[in-house]
Amino acid sequence: MGKPFLENVTSYIDAMKSIQETILANIVLVGQIPAPTFHESQRAKMFMERLAEAQVDECTVDDFQNPIGIIRGSSRQKPPIFMVAHLDTFIDKEVDHNFTIKKNAVFGPGALDNSAGVGVLISMPEILQRLGLEFESDIILAGVIHSLGQGNLKGIRQLLDNWEGPIRGAVCVEGGELGRLNYYSEGIRRCDIECDISKSAGGWEQRFKPNAILILNEVINRVLRLRLPQRPRARVIVGKISGGFKHGIIAYDARLGLEIQSDSDKMVNEIYRDINDIVDGLKHEYQVNMTVKTISSTNASTLEFNHPLVKACVAIMKKLDLNPISEPSGSELSILLSKKIPAVTLGLTHGENYHLNNAKIEINSLFKGIAQIVGVIQAIDSGVCDEK
Amino acid sequence: MKNKWLRKNTFHYSDFRDLKHLVAEKEKKNLTISLCLPTLNEEKTIAKEIVIMKSELITRYPLLDEIVVIDSGSTDKTMEVAEQFGADVYSADDILPDLNKYKGKGENLWKALYITKGDIIVYLDADIKNIHHRFAYALVGPLILSDNIKYSKAFYDRPIAIDKKKIRATGGGRVTELVIRPLFSIFFPELTQILQPLSGEYAGFREIFEKIPFPIGYGIETSMILDIYEKWGLDVIAQVDLEKRVHRNQDTKALGRMAFVIMKTFLDRIEKLGLIDKKHELFNEMIQFSLVEDSYEPDIYSFGTGDRPPIIEIEDYRRKFNIK
Repeated sequence: MGKPFLENVTSYIDAMKSIQETILANIVLVGQIPAPTFHESQRAKMFMERLAEAQVDECTVDDFQNPIGIIRGSSRQKPPIFMVAHLDTFIDKEVDHNFTIKKNAVFGPGALDNSAGVGVLISMPEILQRLGLEFESDIILAGVIHSLGQGNLKGIRQLLDNWEGPIRGAVCVEGGELGRLNYYSEGIRRCDIECDISKSAGGWEQRFKPNAILILNEVINRVLRLRLPQRPRARVIVGKISGGFKHGIIAYDARLGLEIQSDSDKMVNEIYRDINDIVDGLKHEYQVNMTVKTISSTNASTLEFNHPLVKACVAIMKKLDLNPISEPSGSELSILLSKKIPAVTLGLTHGENYHLNNAKIEINSLFKGIAQIVGVIQAIDSGVCDEK
Repeated sequence: MKNKWLRKNTFHYSDFRDLKHLVAEKEKKNLTISLCLPTLNEEKTIAKEIVIMKSELITRYPLLDEIVVIDSGSTDKTMEVAEQFGADVYSADDILPDLNKYKGKGENLWKALYITKGDIIVYLDADIKNIHHRFAYALVGPLILSDNIKYSKAFYDRPIAIDKKKIRATGGGRVTELVIRPLFSIFFPELTQILQPLSGEYAGFREIFEKIPFPIGYGIETSMILDIYEKWGLDVIAQVDLEKRVHRNQDTKALGRMAFVIMKTFLDRIEKLGLIDKKHELFNEMIQFSLVEDSYEPDIYSFGTGDRPPIIEIEDYRRKFNIK
C-alpha cells in the first residue's frame, strides 16, 4: 500500500505558493516584535491572536506562559502530535526590527532563528486548510519561551513536565537550514568562567596583579591540553571572550564562554570536573578570584537511525530532492527525546547571516521546507511513531 | 481658537481594530475600497507593503478590493517586485496617454483615480519601513463608520532611522513645524488642529477627490487640505493617530526643496482665495549653494508646477465612470 504522505508531498509546494502572502506576512509581523530571551510576552501575545483569528479549536497559555493552539483531530484515542518553535531570539530589543522583503528573500534580525519557524507555525491552520488535510491526532502548535542561552530550554521543559498523557511524536521547526534532519542531541554543558582580579586586591595593589585576560588565556591553553576521547565523541568549544577597559591598562576582569559537548553525559561531567580543576589550580597559583558557572545543560539522547520516524523523514526529503544532513542538535529536541518522545528538528529554508541583523531567508525554498514539515506530520499521524 | 474639531474628529487606530465589524459595515454600505501606492524607486519597501496589506486586508479580512501601484519611472526593480507579489502595476505615463506627461507624486495620485475602481481610495507612501495594516484600516475606519467624514489623514510620532541598527523615539516633521504650521497659523488658524498636514497617508471618497485639482508634485498634501476645507469645511476631515511611522531621513537641503514646493503651492492657493495680492509672478527655481573647492556654487532646482484639473472634468474619466 502507498504512503499518502509521500505520494502528495510534492504537490504541496504549489499550494504553499498560493498563500505566500499569508506566510510571509506572519514571518514578518512576528519577526518585527523584539523577543530576546525572557522578554517574549509580546510575541507570545501575537502568536495567540493569530491562532485565535484562524479559529483553531483551542487557544491557551500553559502555566509557564507558553502560547499553545490546538487543532482537534478526529480520534480521541490517538495521542497528540506536537509542532514546536522557540519564540525567543538572540537579538537585543534596541535593534531596529523592521524587516524587508525583496524579490526572493526576506531580511531581518532573527529571521532565520526563529521568526521563520514561528511564522510558519502560526500559518499552519491556514496551510492545513488550504491543503484540505485533517488528522487523527490533535495537532499542538506550541511556541515555547525561555529557550536560548540562560533560558536553558525552560519553556519546553515546563510544557512537557506539565503535559498530561502520552505524546505521539513531535517536530521542532527551525528557520534554517533546509535539509537538516536532527534526531539526536548531545550532552551539553554551557559554562561562563569569570576572572576578577579587582576583588582580590583593592587600590593600587591590583596594578601588580596578573592580567585577567592572560589568566583566561592560560585556562584556554590548559583546556586545549585535555586529552579528549574519539569514542564517546567529545569536544570543548571556546565560543566567547571579553574583558578589560582600555589598551594601556591590564585587564582587571575577563569572561570566557565555553561549551562542553559529547555523545555521553558521563563524559560531559568528567570534562566539566577537569575544567573546574584547571580553574581551581590557576586560582590558587595566581591568587585571583575565578568562578565557573553553568549557564545551561542538556542530556544526550537519540532516536535510532532506523527509527521509522527518521526513515520517513529521509524518504520525504528525498522525494522533495533534499539531501538530509544529520548533526546533533541541542535545542528543544533534546528535551523531547529525553522524555522518550519520538522527535526530529527540521529546517525550513536556506539563508545567510544566521545571527546577524541582516539575516536572510530565501522565499522559494521556504515552500519546499513547509511541504516537508506537513509531510512529516502526516507520517506521524499515519503511525510511523507507533511502530516501535 | 477652540479645539472642538480636534476633540471630535481625532481618532486612534485602535478605535478601528475590530476588522470584522469594519468589513461588515463596508458590505452593508456596499462600498468598494482601493489602495494606491505611488512609487519611484521603492524596491526596498514596496514588497512588504503589498504582502502585509494583501494578507491582512484582502485574504484575512476582505476590506480592500484592490492594490494598485502607480509608478513614475523607477529605474530599480520596483515594478517587477510589486507585480510578483500580486499588485496591479501601472506606469503613470501609460495612463491617459493622450494627455501631457508629468512626473510627480501628485500626478500619480491623480491618475490613480482613473485606474482604481473603489468608492474609497487609500493613498499610502511606498517607503514606510514599519508598514502595518493599521495604516490602511485606520484611515478607512472613519470613512466607513461615519456618515459625515469624507477624508481622513494620518498623524504619528515619526522616529527617523538614524542608522541601520537604532531608532530614536521622537523627531521628524521638520517641514511641518517650520513651514506649514506657521503658514496655517497666519492664514487658517483652524487648520493647525490637523497635526501632520504633510503626512503622505490619507484616504477619502472618490466623490471628493474627483472634484479637486491635484498639483503634480510635492504640494499635493497641502493643496488637498486647503481645497477640501474650502469646498466642504473642516467637519468632513478626520485625523487618525497611527502611532509610529519609520521613514527614510532626508538631509536639510532636500527638505528645503520640499518646503519650496509646498510654499509655492500654498501661495498659489491663497492667491486664488483672494487672501493675497501678488505684485509679480513668483519665481520657479529653488537656489541652494554648495562650497566647491574655494568658491560657492549655486545648485538650481526647477520644479514642474501646475495643477491637474479635477479629474471629473476629463472626458475619458467621465466616460469610464459613466458620469453625465
